[in-house]
Amino acid sequence: MNTKNDLIARMMDDMQEDLIVFIKDNVDSFVKWDLIRFFYENPHTIDSVENIARYTGRSPGAVQGELAELATHGLLEENKVGRMAVYALSSDPKVRQQIADFIQASNDPKFRPKIIFHLLKGMKA
Amino acid sequence: MNQRVNTGVPGLDKMLNGGLLPQTSNLVEGAPGCGKSTLGMQFIYEGTQKGEPGIILTFEEFPQQYYRDAATYGWDFKKLEREGLLRVIMSSPEVSKADLERVNGTIEKMIDAIHAKRILVDSISQFERMSEDPVVLRNLIYSFLNSLKRKGLTTMLTRESSYLWGESDTEEELDSGLSFVVDSYITLRYVEIDSTVNRAIIVMKIRGSAHDTRIFQFDIGAQGMEVGKPFEGQEGILSGAPTRMAESFIKAFVKR
Repeated sequence: MNTKNDLIARMMDDMQEDLIVFIKDNVDSFVKWDLIRFFYENPHTIDSVENIARYTGRSPGAVQGELAELATHGLLEENKVGRMAVYALSSDPKVRQQIADFIQASNDPKFRPKIIFHLLKGMKA
Repeated sequence: MNQRVNTGVPGLDKMLNGGLLPQTSNLVEGAPGCGKSTLGMQFIYEGTQKGEPGIILTFEEFPQQYYRDAATYGWDFKKLEREGLLRVIMSSPEVSKADLERVNGTIEKMIDAIHAKRILVDSISQFERMSEDPVVLRNLIYSFLNSLKRKGLTTMLTRESSYLWGESDTEEELDSGLSFVVDSYITLRYVEIDSTVNRAIIVMKIRGSAHDTRIFQFDIGAQGMEVGKPFEGQEGILSGAPTRMAESFIKAFVKR
């Protein structure tokens, strides 16, 4: 980490560097966290914004932008099926492993509060 | 005799004169909780044990639900996914239909990746939200089923009855159009006999093949669905509350 004065950095300094980078680059909202978990648990999901919103108990407006950003970052694949934007989990094994590592860390009582703190500190929602 | 696709339920295969016909669409219709998805999972599991990988395309339940339910019968679906013998795909009718219609769509890639031979679509009832017009709906489903046939898949579709007990308006069910586009039609029912709830199964039709027309008892046990003996000495089974036939009728017509 760059600065020892950074509280987040100090809190997260016992986490693997790759994991910290993954979180900082990709997980800047609780909605994204939910979506990543959803696709991790249901890795062969292929569906539209409206249906993914329904599956995750959110509104389409809440997930639309987040899905698009996750696709831009390479965690999801976005395809146009007719007029619909359809999302699926990236088929890249490396990306899937990063997601698995993140979910595993987020289930760890030691790391979970740190991820939550990171989100509360830096994020949009 | 044509090569048959075993359902994984020996008693049902006997009723079907050996099993389902390959690359056909086969409808399993019944009340909620009577065993449609179990039969479907059994059909998929049977394939994986015979070198015929399978797809479960779910429009309702989360994949986790299938993993859990299958595990209760000793079928490790997660392991089968890791071994490349199974994919549990969660999608919606509109997306899956559109995806299968395009060239090299995501679902088609998954089918090709595991060389799938079987697919369970659970449930086709969800298509009904796509159109209220029965003609339009029939065409939507017909096109969807043909896209699965094009991939060489033997398809089992589940459909939920709108009633819990007794007789659906079978004619109405058939006239809704689905019976015309599927190759076989199997109905599961709850029936009450002597104050006990029993389950009944009947093969309503199988295109291009003879089948057993009797109504059989079935149960969901530790190994999944098991078909028992045919109901005898009762009439009105499909009504949900059968009555005993006259003894003279039994003597005259029912083999002991």
